[in-house]
Amino acid sequence: MASRALHQCVRSLGRPSLWLLPTNLAVRVPPVFAAAALRPLSFTAASRKTRWLGQSYISSGVLCRQYSDLPPLTLDTIKDRVMYVLKLYDKINPERLQTSSHFMKDLGLDSLDQVEIIMAMEDEFGFEIPDAEAEKLMTPSEIVNYIADKKDVYE
Amino acid sequence: MATSRIPSSTLSLKQFLQRQNILGIYRNIMRTIRRVPDETDRKYLRDWARDEFKRNRNATDQDAICMMIRQANNHLEELQRSLALAMN
Repeated sequence: MASRALHQCVRSLGRPSLWLLPTNLAVRVPPVFAAAALRPLSFTAASRKTRWLGQSYISSGVLCRQYSDLPPLTLDTIKDRVMYVLKLYDKINPERLQTSSHFMKDLGLDSLDQVEIIMAMEDEFGFEIPDAEAEKLMTPSEIVNYIADKKDVYE
Repeated sequence: MATSRIPSSTLSLKQFLQRQNILGIYRNIMRTIRRVPDETDRKYLRDWARDEFKRNRNATDQDAICMMIRQANNHLEELQRSLALAMN
């Protein structure tokens, strides 16, 4: 019964990383939550005393914490977002754009434009890309691979 | 004596470092402009910075390049100082 409650708690959150629990349930739970996840076994018993912690009841009447996060990234969504940002950039011709088109050789941009493109990617994905690594990203597929690498997205 | 196989358009070490320096300054300027509150101001500053850098793209005189780098740094500091004043 505890494992069923745990499973329902976790399913309502949909976090992106994988963690194998002792009850042989392969659920998607981040390490931070795993410690809290093991607590419902004793927690539901003490739940009546700790209502102030911002709990909410899910359909089966079991207490469950709610965190918020963005939807998990996949390689396809990253690629779509990167191509969308590139198409919005006024110096790129959208018809000639492919994932393997080199900014300088195929699209005729220069290094200043490449800096601007990488900054647009930083804005889109919300994290900073250091100079040393930014100057090496010369095709959309390299950008996708770099972001997937930094955001731990595997497929 | 072995002939050099490096193409004539490659930069010397000093020029290469200078190029990286300039790109770094451009990136810092762009990052500082991001912090400006108003959207039209941001667009104006971005266009101004882009034009300034692109206009002098093909300069070859070392002294002129050094002076332009110093000017860019001054503009960057000025921008950062005005932002600090505006925010507080």
